[in-house]
Amino acid sequence: MIRMSNRITNFFNAKSFCVIGASTNLLKPGGVVAENFAKDFPGKLFLVNPRGGTHIFAGKEYTLYKSVLDIEEEIDTAIIIVPAKFAPQALEECGKKNIKNVIVTTGGFAEIGEEGVAIQNRMNEIMKTYNINVIGPNCLGLYSPALGYDTIFLPTSKLKRPKPGNVSIFTQSGAFGAAFIDQLARLGSGNWIARFISYGNASDINEADCIEYLGEDEDTKMILVYLEDFKNGRKFMRTLREVSLKKPVLGIKANRTEAGAKAGASHTAALSSNDAIVDDLLQEAGFQRVITWDELEDCVISFATQPLPKGNKVAIVTDGGGAGVMASDMVSDCKLQLAKFSPEIQKKMDEIFPVFYSTTNPVDITGSASAKDYEKALEAVYEDPGVDAVVNICIPSIPNLDINEYIEITRKIASRKEKTFVTALIGGEEADYAYDVLLKEDFAVFKSPGSAIRAVGRLVEYANYLKKRGKNL
Amino acid sequence: MNVQIKEIFEKVKSENRKVLLEHEAKEILRLLDLPLPPSKLVKTEEEAIKAFNEFNGPVAMKVMSPKVLHKTDEQAVKIGIATVEEVKETFNDYMNRFAEKEVVGILVEKMIAKGVELIIGSQIDKTFGPVILVGPGGIFVEALKDVVFRMCPCSLEQALSAIDEIKTQKLLNGFRGLAPVNREQLAEIMSKLSSLAWEYREYIGEMDINPLIANSDGVFPVDARIILK
Repeated sequence: MIRMSNRITNFFNAKSFCVIGASTNLLKPGGVVAENFAKDFPGKLFLVNPRGGTHIFAGKEYTLYKSVLDIEEEIDTAIIIVPAKFAPQALEECGKKNIKNVIVTTGGFAEIGEEGVAIQNRMNEIMKTYNINVIGPNCLGLYSPALGYDTIFLPTSKLKRPKPGNVSIFTQSGAFGAAFIDQLARLGSGNWIARFISYGNASDINEADCIEYLGEDEDTKMILVYLEDFKNGRKFMRTLREVSLKKPVLGIKANRTEAGAKAGASHTAALSSNDAIVDDLLQEAGFQRVITWDELEDCVISFATQPLPKGNKVAIVTDGGGAGVMASDMVSDCKLQLAKFSPEIQKKMDEIFPVFYSTTNPVDITGSASAKDYEKALEAVYEDPGVDAVVNICIPSIPNLDINEYIEITRKIASRKEKTFVTALIGGEEADYAYDVLLKEDFAVFKSPGSAIRAVGRLVEYANYLKKRGKNL
Repeated sequence: MNVQIKEIFEKVKSENRKVLLEHEAKEILRLLDLPLPPSKLVKTEEEAIKAFNEFNGPVAMKVMSPKVLHKTDEQAVKIGIATVEEVKETFNDYMNRFAEKEVVGILVEKMIAKGVELIIGSQIDKTFGPVILVGPGGIFVEALKDVVFRMCPCSLEQALSAIDEIKTQKLLNGFRGLAPVNREQLAEIMSKLSSLAWEYREYIGEMDINPLIANSDGVFPVDARIILK
């Protein structure tokens, strides 16, 4: 069977791109996007501005065409960044110019009520007449640093951009997308993004197209989602169920309550659907549902950097009894189990450590621990075939622990990537220091034992799902 | 589509009814080969006694009438009928009380041995179309809210995973001397009903199979309610 390529592919693969509403003011949306493309886009760039003339973007002089119809060359994809009332005309001209892929970032459509609905309906008619694929309106459009493709109209001085990586995002809310892009730019190395799709009001391309496209995209190793409602719920769920077997798909489905539904209506013209149904269908389709925004970064850092655990047996190494106990509680909350060490590993630890260290799981190397002790304990439990994931908890304020030595040891073991390995650093300045150093290198590091174990719990949940669906890990 | 099933829906529609009578709903389930308790729609006392003797054990007797849709509220259901005397008494009581109610017949049905009460139901969701749920049933179903949804049609595998996601797993695993629920059989019923809800989505608006009784003999739909769109 020949598979029809997904419509979003044509947007990203454009060899020529046109910005309609290319402002000469670099702080205005049309100026930002023109500058973005002038700087990085490897294909041909055309700019439309009704005032005409020429202008310099990213050090190169560009003709400003008064209309897209004045351009002689073929254009694969265009973006419309003009006020909503001018958008139908701009779209119609794209149709006449035979441009088949158009991003409309402008707001002021269905999400603002009656007047906007009328304009959006007009847009939809034009879209059908000329057979145009549309992303938007009321969105940020597309971003892919590796492709030099950036329609995000917020200046890079304000909204930082993550560098190329293997995480892809699609979002119904542009504001969510913008904030999370900014967050990822400063998370760890900042090397995260394969594709970013903000599809806004989904007048044409919707969540089902996005999941299908990213499922097939080879640069995408994990998919992060923000949804408020579904335009094609059945297709989305069916596609998700296939995609989640290939790569983890996780994120937020907001609009969970009546109050949420109202907030949605004034936002992206969202309509709520019964969350009990949504929740069950998402789970069945292998979606890891995250409820709060703050857990998303943890998910990125764990899913994008860690091998999936083979089972749910966890080993904990800590220098603080309290942290160990809390971590153990969290282990059972997350449906994990404390591993029972094999006799050889147990014997080894009993031999190397003083009697007042607790060498059964959770391993407590106490306030007397040195970085070397961490190395011995972590390596021992890492070697144990009965351990699927290692949780490295450190309260660095103890006297014999050299923080740089501890960082080096953690770096060494975490780099092996044979097993899930997460680190929690708890305390003040030194903890923050170690956290920052390790995170900068994209190690799975957290600020509490709970977050670290919750991250393992998520990975195990996904691994279990795959096993249940008959996948070998 | 099954011609006989379609005929039942068309008949109900042609009579301007929205709700299938229990024996009509059960006829549809029977056409799907679901394991229904043996039953007979009777019109005379003699037929009622004959059915009772044939089933060889306690029966339930229910009034089938388009004017009596909330049978329990109107005392149109009697369960645990164990003697011929009781059969006669119940039959005549119904005939007296519901004389003006367009009674189509009395459904005499063999009682199913006690077990875990479950529900399977379907409805049309505005986002996902026909969806089906499974969970602990009986009269507390709305209080418990321990149900799991799937899109229709759902495969056996998807039905099994839905059953595994029911929170009150204890109830399914042989609670207080009851037999463990036969999950395979429950899943098969769910999968078949999901295909019904999908194939006949132009007809079926809502469906409640509540309760299904799961005992050591299997899983049996005991009451069935199908409401047209």
